[in-house]
Amino acid sequence: MRQSPTGPKVLVALGVALLLAGSWWGLTKAPGEVYMGEVQRIMYVHVPTAWNAMLALSFAFVCALCFLLTNAWKWDSRLEAAMEMGVVLSLLLCIQGSIWAKPTWGVWWDWDPRLTTTAVMVFAFGGILALRAFVDDPARRAVWSAVACIVAFVDVPIVYFSVKWWNSLHQAQSTPQTVSSAFHLPLRVNAFGILFLWTGLVALRSRVASLRLRNELGPPLPDSRPAVTGAAPIAGGAS
Amino acid sequence: MSGVVQGGWEFVAGAYIVTATILSAYATSVFLRYRTEQRRAAAEAEREARK
Amino acid sequence: MKDLLAALRKDLLLQWRGRAQVIAIFAFGAAALLLFSFAIGPDSAALREHAAGFLWLGLLLASTLALAESFEREMEEQALEGLLLLPASTRGLYYGKAIANWAHLALLGVALVPVMVVLYDAGTLRLISLVGVILLGTAGLSAPGTLYAAMTSQTRARQTLLPLLLFPLVVPVLLAAVKATSLLILGDPMGQLRPWTTLLAAFGVIHWSIGGLLFGRVVED
Repeated sequence: MRQSPTGPKVLVALGVALLLAGSWWGLTKAPGEVYMGEVQRIMYVHVPTAWNAMLALSFAFVCALCFLLTNAWKWDSRLEAAMEMGVVLSLLLCIQGSIWAKPTWGVWWDWDPRLTTTAVMVFAFGGILALRAFVDDPARRAVWSAVACIVAFVDVPIVYFSVKWWNSLHQAQSTPQTVSSAFHLPLRVNAFGILFLWTGLVALRSRVASLRLRNELGPPLPDSRPAVTGAAPIAGGAS
Repeated sequence: MSGVVQGGWEFVAGAYIVTATILSAYATSVFLRYRTEQRRAAAEAEREARK
Repeated sequence: MKDLLAALRKDLLLQWRGRAQVIAIFAFGAAALLLFSFAIGPDSAALREHAAGFLWLGLLLASTLALAESFEREMEEQALEGLLLLPASTRGLYYGKAIANWAHLALLGVALVPVMVVLYDAGTLRLISLVGVILLGTAGLSAPGTLYAAMTSQTRARQTLLPLLLFPLVVPVLLAAVKATSLLILGDPMGQLRPWTTLLAAFGVIHWSIGGLLFGRVVED
């Protein structure tokens, strides 16, 4: 596995360039919004971060499924990378949301369903990363994090709807849903910027995980997780 | 009260700065970890080759 | 099905034999409820208003002890490996254990109700509905809790990892159960109970299903 890191590095560089361009546009050229004034400009990083945080964690979910179905180590490495990236983006999202809330609603946290769900996701997926740190056996670590990731991901819509109903009893206000067309360009540029950035970083981070795994298991690295000892695997609960 | 949020540039600046800081810090940590692992793998390969 | 009943019987029997532990966990829950009232202060109105929240928080904290304890015995003498070598389905094992944990938590919840009534002056005449809410809520705690307890009991930091993993997951249960219980205690003039109990039921159905599907992978070697 002598993969060249050029691909990911190009992605990261491209992502950064797009982000700089999009942010510059959003900060200088785009008009201020009617009711929110200058604070609206936070949306040019906040909305793209939201899209990409969700994308990264969705990719983590796919990796978890792929690992459980194929038992190939590469999916475990990608899972670790995607979850870490997802947690970072989600944490960033919460901070951005908080900074946006203060001048708008006067409080640092307004229990907006989407942001609150994101906060729960930070804890949920952060917890899975913590779980990985405490499991020494690589095979077990891989299976357990995949299982935990699936359960956590399935839970996300439930958390969202329950917080939405819970909050609707207290709050009439809501965060703006639509962004008018004058603002689309910086939004899209930044969205792709963060997309390329996180894709490149996840690719690199997966390689870090693979290299560490290779070190842990000692050569030669099997392509798949070793099968269950014994003639027939008891896993799966065949009854 | 005109109904428009006044000023707020410090919040905008804060948001962009936090975004830039967190993303660059994380990217740096990934690159550093990658370099460490590459070096370790190279050293191992060399040791194997010498044996 | 046979495996499920056998596993259930085993776990209930073990709980009965270790009932000192069950009582101790109840005492922990009751102590938590007491501490919450000290944290809020002797304001009867405030205590009554938030009684539902305190009950479910206390129950949630105590549940981590109960769930962790349900796998303690399997860890001793490598009983878990022994169980898995038997020609029994892991699915039956999971559901048996999860039901036993559900029973334990439901009992705990019901036992804490009088404590809540006394400390927070928060009772209700709709006792059947209250028991129903407790049953639905604890079911939601038991399914993912049993799955995660199986994992964390085999790790080094088992006491910290179980709550760390479980709590974010069961946020919907906490929200819905507290809202439903609150409506029962404080009054429900607009009949809002049904949506919350439906949410609890939906959460339960989803997590009992995926728990059964995934448990086999968690305990395989």
